[in-house]
Amino acid sequence: MTDGIKRRDFLKVLGASSAGATMTGCGPSEVEKLLPYVVQPEEITPGVATWYATTCDCPDGCGMWVRTREGRAVKVEGNPEHPISQGAVCLQGYASLQHLYNPDRFAGPMIREGDRLRQGSWDEAERLLSAKIGQNTAAGRDVMFIGGHMGPTMGRLVDEFLGEVNGSRVEYHAVSSAPLREATRLAYGIDELPRYDIESSDLLLSFSNDFIDEGSVEDDRGLSRMHSVDDSGHTKGTFVYLGPRLSTTGLNADEWLPINPGSEAVIALALAAHIADGDTAGPYASLLETYGIADAAVASGIDEDALRGLADRFSAAERPLAIGPGVGGHHKNATAANLATLILNDVAGAKGVTVHVGGGATAASAPFSDIAEAIERMARGDVGVVLVHGANPAYSLPEGSGFREAFGETSFKVSFASAMDETAAMADLIMPDRHFLESWGDSKPREGVHTVQQPVMQPVPHFDSKQAGDVLLAVASHLGADLGASTFYEYLRAPHQTMHADDPEGFEQMWREHLRTGMFGMGMMGGGRGVDSQPVELRMPDRPLTFDNPSFDGVGDLTLIVHPSPRFKGGEFSNSPWMLELPDPVSKITWHSWLEMNPVTAEGRGLREGDIVTVASEYGSVDVPLWLYPGIREDAVALAMGGGHTDMGRWATGQGVNAMDLLPVHVEQPSGALATLVTTVTVTPTGERRRIATIEGSNNQRDRGIAAAVAFTDLGHSEEQHSDGVGHHDELMELQGFGGVQPVDAHDGDPTAYPLPGADHGLYADAHEGPRWGLAIDLDKCTGCSACIVACHAENNVPWVGEDQVVMGRDMTWLRIERYYEHVDASHASHLDVRFLPMMCQHCGNAPCEPVCPVYATYHTPEGINAQIYNRCVGTRYCANNCPYKVRVYNWYRYTDENVPEPMNWQWNPDVTVRTNGIMEKCSLCMHNIRDAENRAALEGGREVRDGEVRCACESSCSAEAIVFGDLRDPESRVSQIINSERTYRVLDDLLNTQPGVNYLKKVTHHDVSEGH
Amino acid sequence: MAVGTTERGALTHPDIERLDDVNRDVLKMLSVPGKGWWALFAMCVAGVGLFLSAWFWQIYKGIGVSGLMSPVGWGVYITTFVFWVGIGHAGTLISAILFLFRAPWRQSIYRAAEGMTVFAVMTAGLFPLIHVGRVWHAYWLIPYPNSRFLWPNFKSPLVWDVFAVTTYFTVSAVFFYLGTIPDVAAARDRATGLRRKLYGAISLGWQGTDKQWHHFGKAYIFLAALATPLVLSVHSVVSWDFAMSIVPGWHATIFAPYFVAGAVFSGVAMVITLLAPLRKIFGLEAYLTVKHFDAMAKLCLFTSLVVLYAYLSEFFLAWYSGEDPERHAFWNRLFGTYWWATWTMLVCNGFVPVMLWFKRVRHSIPALFVISIFINIGMWFERYVIVVTSLHNEYEPFAWGIYRPSVIEMSIMVGSFFWFGFWFLLFTRLLPPIAIQELKEVLPPPMRKKKSSEVAEAHQ
Repeated sequence: MTDGIKRRDFLKVLGASSAGATMTGCGPSEVEKLLPYVVQPEEITPGVATWYATTCDCPDGCGMWVRTREGRAVKVEGNPEHPISQGAVCLQGYASLQHLYNPDRFAGPMIREGDRLRQGSWDEAERLLSAKIGQNTAAGRDVMFIGGHMGPTMGRLVDEFLGEVNGSRVEYHAVSSAPLREATRLAYGIDELPRYDIESSDLLLSFSNDFIDEGSVEDDRGLSRMHSVDDSGHTKGTFVYLGPRLSTTGLNADEWLPINPGSEAVIALALAAHIADGDTAGPYASLLETYGIADAAVASGIDEDALRGLADRFSAAERPLAIGPGVGGHHKNATAANLATLILNDVAGAKGVTVHVGGGATAASAPFSDIAEAIERMARGDVGVVLVHGANPAYSLPEGSGFREAFGETSFKVSFASAMDETAAMADLIMPDRHFLESWGDSKPREGVHTVQQPVMQPVPHFDSKQAGDVLLAVASHLGADLGASTFYEYLRAPHQTMHADDPEGFEQMWREHLRTGMFGMGMMGGGRGVDSQPVELRMPDRPLTFDNPSFDGVGDLTLIVHPSPRFKGGEFSNSPWMLELPDPVSKITWHSWLEMNPVTAEGRGLREGDIVTVASEYGSVDVPLWLYPGIREDAVALAMGGGHTDMGRWATGQGVNAMDLLPVHVEQPSGALATLVTTVTVTPTGERRRIATIEGSNNQRDRGIAAAVAFTDLGHSEEQHSDGVGHHDELMELQGFGGVQPVDAHDGDPTAYPLPGADHGLYADAHEGPRWGLAIDLDKCTGCSACIVACHAENNVPWVGEDQVVMGRDMTWLRIERYYEHVDASHASHLDVRFLPMMCQHCGNAPCEPVCPVYATYHTPEGINAQIYNRCVGTRYCANNCPYKVRVYNWYRYTDENVPEPMNWQWNPDVTVRTNGIMEKCSLCMHNIRDAENRAALEGGREVRDGEVRCACESSCSAEAIVFGDLRDPESRVSQIINSERTYRVLDDLLNTQPGVNYLKKVTHHDVSEGH
Repeated sequence: MAVGTTERGALTHPDIERLDDVNRDVLKMLSVPGKGWWALFAMCVAGVGLFLSAWFWQIYKGIGVSGLMSPVGWGVYITTFVFWVGIGHAGTLISAILFLFRAPWRQSIYRAAEGMTVFAVMTAGLFPLIHVGRVWHAYWLIPYPNSRFLWPNFKSPLVWDVFAVTTYFTVSAVFFYLGTIPDVAAARDRATGLRRKLYGAISLGWQGTDKQWHHFGKAYIFLAALATPLVLSVHSVVSWDFAMSIVPGWHATIFAPYFVAGAVFSGVAMVITLLAPLRKIFGLEAYLTVKHFDAMAKLCLFTSLVVLYAYLSEFFLAWYSGEDPERHAFWNRLFGTYWWATWTMLVCNGFVPVMLWFKRVRHSIPALFVISIFINIGMWFERYVIVVTSLHNEYEPFAWGIYRPSVIEMSIMVGSFFWFGFWFLLFTRLLPPIAIQELKEVLPPPMRKKKSSEVAEAHQ
């Protein structure tokens, strides 16, 4: 927590003591003046949130609603009307507020003077850049703009700007879908990304594609909808994962085929060959003839029967869908593998059904070869000025790419990074861009979806930032060019304005409507889903391709899988404590990096979990602690991207290792992508050990029925269902006053029967007629993506505690996603059974925590909520001891004071108390939202709170639609409807008679659960 | 040196011939202390410094300086709390229960045991304060009238604890004080200056009149009767802190008798631990005889058997319950992360006391001293096992965790022994650690001293 006394602290103490000596009767050390608004801004009512619609700046382009309080953005939600987000954004989306209030953002433009950077004014910075570009052009050298993802208008501006200065633009993405784009071009002649309609498929094959890990809320929702059992209980899609390692996506599968790394293409072609009859394969018919199931069995290491069975099922499926390798599976033949899956889809009749080609999606698919060429040009000295925007290639490219050297030698380097990163650290001029929540812009992830990005608040005043678009316009004007606007806002409006030049008033009205909805144009629902712009047919590829298993570099005995982190992606989200402390959805490890290895492999080498091992390829080596994972092949190890930053703010710097250090620069052909699944490594122990910063205690639920499941075939006949765990419905006896021991039916699923007749329900549960709030969580829908955890942190001011505290077991999260293994077998193709269970306070009707609190700091509200009164808590921790779910978390230190620097505390939700040292806290079911809705209902004529009006942070963040909040006592409410199911159960209720208000619906498996383990 | 028995059964020593000798020998302990005492006292003062500074650091920084975590919200602090409450038992048992039962061997040890009780409960009482997160609000556990009608939750065993411990402390302190009055008066009569005034005030003007003796006797019996149920109640209530919860390994009906037996066991062991060196340092062999130690050893042996029975029945019932959380909790005790604590407990409390079956061991003060140390360690670990191993693997396997005590926690735990020692050492110097008046009661009535020739005849 502290590093001894700092000079600054010493001076503070000195100052305070002298002040104390001269003054008497001092109150708080810093007296802040609270002034009410003298003239209240029109849009702001103190205590009432104002919402703004905007768009997230990642290539997926989710629509957002941002809640602001008194002019500060405090929470991000998904825009429910947006076709992609549909009310939820990904975990990085929720964490964007931490980047907005990141204390490591630059205070202003930074100008290099020798070894150090000094802060300058914007005018100075812009004149400097203009002068440099002028000199450069005069010297006949190029201006280069290396840009990550940007909206279409910003892209247009950059191109116009570069047109004025004779510059060129290079697109660079640390995580790129180039092979898929190239494969689509090869297969159909359309240079775009296809759209996979996961939602409507009934048999989904993922060939090492980790769409949930890559953060697509649309695909997450799609998987949840296709894969969960429908209301009637009749259909449930099947998801088969083929890959060497189970990602979060893979852990959701029904079956796992632990194929040899890189064998996707051969399998896909063999399946296609098995399915294809006659000429359905078009020009690929002759290619398919050379692939049989037997070949695929050899290539993949999976037995023939399993593959043949899969092929038959894929052929029989009405709406099959196969997805080719994503970034984690980009081996040397990744384009071929993606092409093979497109052929498989085509042959199985998925084209136009679940695979749609031609939707205009091209985002984040630029090949590595583009930047490689740019590096060459820089190295040759052709480039005099490099502008880097929205990308951090100095970190995310392997050392062998030569970026650092070439970039370093360029005479004038400009970064638009808003906070320090590895590339900005090398720059001569840093012109900090605004965060997207402070910026104007637009986003167009695909045809039919064009959305507005607008500032949701005044720029954070601690940082003198300027939007990159405005900077380019200013520099252009210094250079004497006219780009048609003086600000980016004007530039963004101009095309729309031109369209309505005859009706300026109507335009303003329409513009306001755009800002209100966050979207350009109406009738956006559908959002380009399933749009086939033109009928397409398979074509002969115009490049030579190899479909066989790729070779792997090096002489190591283990194949290295490098995959984007579900939390940090390619590393751009690493400097956020929420992301760092969020348990990885797969490993449940926080903060640091880890190497995944199969327990069998580790045992053979005498390695144990927590051993720090040296992972060495021919290109580099890193020391990283070992984590044993049965979901990875025995001949592979895996390392996530996003760690090992050398210069990226206070939290990310020095945290973990950079997987790119192990990778060679291998350009996958023909897409030009950087192959990441390309090398083998050796793993040797260093002899050191460490305690892993994990939240996981045990991954075995010991048949306690905590995360329960039921077999699909057993649904509908609940009398004889084979549910696992504590399935018995014994009569429970309860002591009732002086009435003696009487039976209590604890398993009464009738939601209206609360409190259960005759039962003693903890504290204050007397006859109450109002609602009984509760949750329904469908385990068949939950994908374990963990966005709910970040949303909960943001909503409820849950502090982060730091790596050392997580190691001690002191994480503060109110909601954790437990991950239990039931059946994970990396040795052969078999069913997979991994259970995700979101676990928060269960709001027990008969709560064990309540009677033990000596001061009533925890008690039961008449509405069924187990409430925690923070300022009454003395901190005996008895409630936490007595909580069987272990969902109570304790403030061991002043985490909220000590860990949260200015202005990160601007994010705090003013509706929720910020807790201090020595007290217990836990999930409140977003009590403040309930009160808010009740107040609103009271103001609107004393109506009842409507069902769905109150949404918990976890519910609204759940793109898988697994969590629903509502009144359990109202039989018409969504939550009552949902839990009126044979799958409903309450965790540990049969054993302990806690009568939780959180109801779970069992996961539904395609295999027989009773034999499953 | 032959040891005889009076008609009332008290143990006597031939060296004590006159009642005056008792005054002399006991009050000698209150005179100028030796180097050994000062060395011990200096050590204790240093230890108290450690204790208080660690505590204040914890108050300043937060409970985080301990090793406590989720799911182990109680650790060394509560372990040590229960340990000290347990220690506090022997004193009242020896002074009150054995007094009521007229056990003949208690006279020379009960004062020291009572002192130990008061100081042990005083030490124990600090631990709930040490372990709460916001000690400045700890008074909220006490029911006091307030304008907001906020009362403690009388359903909570922690509130019962407040009553049990404060009552026990009050009664045992008063009982202790009452018993010392005649002896303090004796000390007053010998003392001079400030000490005389101080003792004079403490002895409440005791003159030793018949009427005073009469009242004294009545009050003493009355308080003994009052303290007796408390011996059983306080540790029963402390055991309910655990038994009333639903934690596997805590939730058991056997807890109250099990804890009381354990408390007596550890308390008597602690009396042995304290009296063995005291006997040596102050040369009290004549008063604290081998017979006394033999009786205490027998009490230890008996309670050891009760405690061992409780251990075994817990293991059996866990198996018999058929519930996995319960079974796992006890399997985990024996073979889990904290196996060493459990085996320390079993060896120290179950197996080492087996040696007390042998009379030779019971009559060897050094052997008893060593065994008593083992029992002290074993009983501390018993509470550690109950508190920590039960919590660390509970119902929800995903939330299991491992607790490691921190340096601050161990400092406070070790410091509490010095805190206790500090008060106990002061006690040995300021109050007669052996009850003068009760010893006199059981000595033969004073007689004219025989001539030395007659003595020689009598011995022939």
